[in-house]
Amino acid sequence: MSDTRRMLAEMADPLFAELGFASTDSDWSRLDELGLPLLLVPEADGGFGGDHVDALTVFRLAGFHALGLPLVDRIVASRAEEGTEAHFHFGAFARTAQIAGALDAALAMSVAYVNERQQFGRPLGKFQAVQQELATFACEAAAANCAAMGAAEALDRGDAGFEIAAAKLRANRAASEGARIAHQVHGAIGFTQEYPLHQFTGRLRQWRSDFGGDAYWSKELGESVIERGADAFWPDLTARTD
Amino acid sequence: MQTFVTEAVDWPESAPELRARVRALVAEHGERDPVRRANCWTKADPEFSRRLGEAGLLGMTWPKEYGGHERSQLERYVVIEELLAAGAPVGAHWIADRQSGPLLLRLGNDELKERWVPGMARGEVFACIGLSEPNSGSDLASVRTSARRDGNEWVINGQKVWTTGAHWSHFMIALIRSEAGSERQQGLSQFVIPMDAPGVSIKPIIDLTGAHEFNEVFFEDVRLPASALLGEEGQGWRQATAELSLERSGPERYLSSMVLFLELVRHAEKDQESSVRDLVGRLASDAWTLRLMSASVAAKLARGEDHALEATMVKDLGNAYEQAIPELVQGAIEMDLSSDELLASVTAYLLQVAPSFSLRGGTREILKGIIARGLGLR
Repeated sequence: MSDTRRMLAEMADPLFAELGFASTDSDWSRLDELGLPLLLVPEADGGFGGDHVDALTVFRLAGFHALGLPLVDRIVASRAEEGTEAHFHFGAFARTAQIAGALDAALAMSVAYVNERQQFGRPLGKFQAVQQELATFACEAAAANCAAMGAAEALDRGDAGFEIAAAKLRANRAASEGARIAHQVHGAIGFTQEYPLHQFTGRLRQWRSDFGGDAYWSKELGESVIERGADAFWPDLTARTD
Repeated sequence: MQTFVTEAVDWPESAPELRARVRALVAEHGERDPVRRANCWTKADPEFSRRLGEAGLLGMTWPKEYGGHERSQLERYVVIEELLAAGAPVGAHWIADRQSGPLLLRLGNDELKERWVPGMARGEVFACIGLSEPNSGSDLASVRTSARRDGNEWVINGQKVWTTGAHWSHFMIALIRSEAGSERQQGLSQFVIPMDAPGVSIKPIIDLTGAHEFNEVFFEDVRLPASALLGEEGQGWRQATAELSLERSGPERYLSSMVLFLELVRHAEKDQESSVRDLVGRLASDAWTLRLMSASVAAKLARGEDHALEATMVKDLGNAYEQAIPELVQGAIEMDLSSDELLASVTAYLLQVAPSFSLRGGTREILKGIIARGLGLR
């Protein structure tokens, strides 16, 4: 990780944690102070001049802390005009990163909960059935994080149509599976308004549909792969990273 | 909590040239039959292995002193993902190139290295792994095959099972109890056993497809010189589990059904059914993600960082993916599995072998247990 990016993460992380899902309009000034809404605006125009991996870092942290203020949408809007294809694609990338962050947060919350909650005289986390579900969850969260990173790198390289489609679709599926498992291992407490799990799972549900749901992206991606033909699939895939 | 490294992968500059070389070699000498291109790393073709060796594509990261080519880990990764994506018959040398060679180079004495490594780099010497026994499957620490000291020699007695390629291999690296009366992970050592040593016998096990890939291997008073001990006496468990993490996250863990995915795309070129198109999209998304994940672990391994947890996650996800492909294709397309039609015959073959994908190299349940421990459970 580059030094600027580490610095960015070290600024955003505690601030998002503090603001959390309860943040209100009066908190915008805190984000403005750090120049976060201008993350992708070039330095020459008074912005932060970040690249797409910087964007991934901030979007992911916003998801991780379920940041209430729509900072991510504001950054997306700074990048492309609403209603355009570019806006839709960049929005899909942003949601992929947010899903990755929210999955990691819900996973951490789930692991902490099952290690603490005792039934039958031992923590839930000692039961193999619970362990195996959480292992599945961890794999899904990992897949979403890698997909978000792959899309960010592709955006930095240029044309990222394929990667954004693949990444959003993968993250959507991870969002659904992760939210299911988080609720299952939390039992009834996760179903209350008081307990914060729904701040994450509710967002995961919403983000899965935002900027293209599973059906949309699988059709897009499927059509494009079929159009290129079977023999082009692997050479295309490797040429995109070589 | 972030459980998986997401550093960018720095693909080698030589990648396009390496890919072109592999593709040309496979086009000329690879497997023609698409059914045999599926699950290709169990298909042995010693002649193909020898050609790879000749082309400098085996032992790529090994020292030149032992016939290697001193290329980077990621250059090797590029070569193996190309071979697997093309369904090349890499089974004969797969274990030697992936783990036995690196293990011998890391822990072997000069005699072992000189005897076995150059032949492996040429694609002429093949290896098998002796882990499972009749009563030791997932519970590997219960192995009972024994090594007893007799003067300057070791005497081996016992049995290994499910040994892939024992019948085409020149030697086995086996996990053996070298301290009588020891329990579990204690008192185990690794030994290098020539398959033609007196007292070694091999009995085939025919799998449910009718293929002969694995075997039972019996040891009856097999006498080995002191130099056959690999690494440190009593450290076999630690050595073997470190070796296992080398075999967890390679591209063979998600590409076993790639040939069927490509046949699905070919089918979809003339099938307008939207469910087929959606399936292509979904499977392409998974392939892209898994490739990134597998390569990220290879990059982490190349940096010398601990990659065991991530490697386990890649194997679990990758196995689920390669296992799901034939099921999903069968569900999406009407076909007669007994016909000679290409899509149907590849589907039929993979439906039969797919259950093994989440068994070999550590079962799904064992992997999930390892991941759970990594999460701080257990």
